[in-house]
Amino acid sequence: MLDIQHLRVVYGITEVLRDVTFDVPQGSIVALLGGNGSGKTTMLNTLTGMVKPAAGSIRFEGIECAGLPAKGFVQRGIVQVPQGREVWPSMSVHENLELGAVTRKDWPGIRSDMEEMFEIFPKLKPHQRKRAGALSGGEQQMVAIGRALMARPKCLLMDEPSAGLAPAIVSDMVDTILALNRRGLTILLVEQNIGVAAAVAEYAHILQNGEIAFSGAAAGLVDNPAVLGAYLGR
Amino acid sequence: MLLFSYLLLGGITTGALYALVAIGLVVVNKSTGIINFAQGELFMFCGFLAWMTHVQFGLAYPLAFIAATVGGFLLGIVTDRLAFRALAKTDIVGLVLATVGLAFVLRGTARMIWGGKGDYLSFPPITSPEPVMIGDIMVVPQQMAALAGAIAIMLVFAAFFRFTRIGKIMRATADNAKAATLVGISIQNVYTLAFGAGAAIAGAAAVLAAPLTLLYPDMGFSFFIKGFAAAVLGGLTSLSGAVVGGLLVGVIESMAGGYIDSSMMEVAPFLLIMLVLIICPTGLLSLHKTRDV
Ligand SMILES: Nc1ncnc2c1ncn2[C@@H]1O[C@H](COP(=O)(O)OP(=O)(O)O)[C@@H](O)[C@H]1O
Ligand SMILES: [Mg+2]
Repeated sequence: MLDIQHLRVVYGITEVLRDVTFDVPQGSIVALLGGNGSGKTTMLNTLTGMVKPAAGSIRFEGIECAGLPAKGFVQRGIVQVPQGREVWPSMSVHENLELGAVTRKDWPGIRSDMEEMFEIFPKLKPHQRKRAGALSGGEQQMVAIGRALMARPKCLLMDEPSAGLAPAIVSDMVDTILALNRRGLTILLVEQNIGVAAAVAEYAHILQNGEIAFSGAAAGLVDNPAVLGAYLGR
Repeated sequence: MLLFSYLLLGGITTGALYALVAIGLVVVNKSTGIINFAQGELFMFCGFLAWMTHVQFGLAYPLAFIAATVGGFLLGIVTDRLAFRALAKTDIVGLVLATVGLAFVLRGTARMIWGGKGDYLSFPPITSPEPVMIGDIMVVPQQMAALAGAIAIMLVFAAFFRFTRIGKIMRATADNAKAATLVGISIQNVYTLAFGAGAAIAGAAAVLAAPLTLLYPDMGFSFFIKGFAAAVLGGLTSLSGAVVGGLLVGVIESMAGGYIDSSMMEVAPFLLIMLVLIICPTGLLSLHKTRDV
């Protein structure tokens, strides 16, 4: 579904992604792992038009998307839940979700999707009118995911959704990711927490030195010493 | 009591006009991080547009209002597209200097078009210029009309930001521009819109102020300074803060002029600002957190 080939991304003279090739099959959950600063966030930003690649191709449902502006990616159905949640702190939860649908004009559909968000995240319902900045980290993560879902994505890119959350909340997050996938959403998941990645993903790719250093079944990750070595950057 | 009520009402009225200028500054600063030094000149220019519509072409006052606000909006959009967008990749200092340049261009253009017709142009009053006594209080109908207009515009602006999709898009961009880009908002268009909205409200302020003052090409700076002072008092990013700041500057200026000396009118607001900034450097409303409109 999402087909990335020979992708190269540079910041000035720093080459962050040298030559990255992998794909995310329709309906799957794929994990993208790697040490700190290995370029995971850069990868997701390139896949959502936030960063322009220097070379390579990004095909989504067979159509070339490299070079599109961020809006173009959202309209084609690729939406990112960014690292650090990045909610609009002074706006209400309701407004945060509502603006997730900013590229849509089907007002009845938007309204019914709003209802649906509060079914997926019932904990947000009593906080609808609260400023998003006043919520807990876990609740803000729900707002960030809900906001992305409001665009009706086909493929969701999640950047470390479990970071900074208490263990009980992380396990809720795992359930949420699996539930979204069961509804037909394709997910590319960036994680620091290998346990989370192994629990939800079928495949995993590990980024190292600007390339994919390992690809394989996610289930075998946790007890593969070579992988762990690569992952920790040793 | 008579003098006090006169000074108070006069101060509130000019303060409401300063507040409108300040709101324009805040709207631009909130989304783009730029102080628009041409805000006063946009005010002046739109005042002349209104004068041309109403006095030269003899059209009704509401049409002059439309000419000034729509004219201001277009002026804001065009300057953003022509001047500011080209500089978007440079640092913020370059952009702020560009607004200073715009101020001079507008002033020069106004001199060319409307200069040489006598130094000061007057705008006919829209209500009776005679003061009216209500009990012990002296009320100038023209001032009350301007005040009512200013309040109406503030309410419309607040409703725009709270209830419309475009208003929410502007708030989101001000809140977190990266997140706005991620959901598919075109940030550059929001900046254009912010300059347009800021100039439109300058235009609205000018139409309300015109019957109370004289129009001349150099009038913009003093309104800019008062509006800027009001915006700083309110913390530069708060619309409600801009309103409170504007009213304070207007009332203090009026009281100082009436009770101390007319030479104090220009100085007193700045003494207040220095005091406020020493006590709470991020603006008056930061003392107790208030929600932005
Ligand atoms: N906007 C940027 N400009 C320059 N360098 C950047 C920028 N963003 C990230 N980098 C650098 O690119 C590398 C990869 O960063 P990032 O993609 O955030 O990694 P990760 O998400 O895997 O921790 C890091 O060395 C980081 O310092
Ligand atoms: Mg990262």
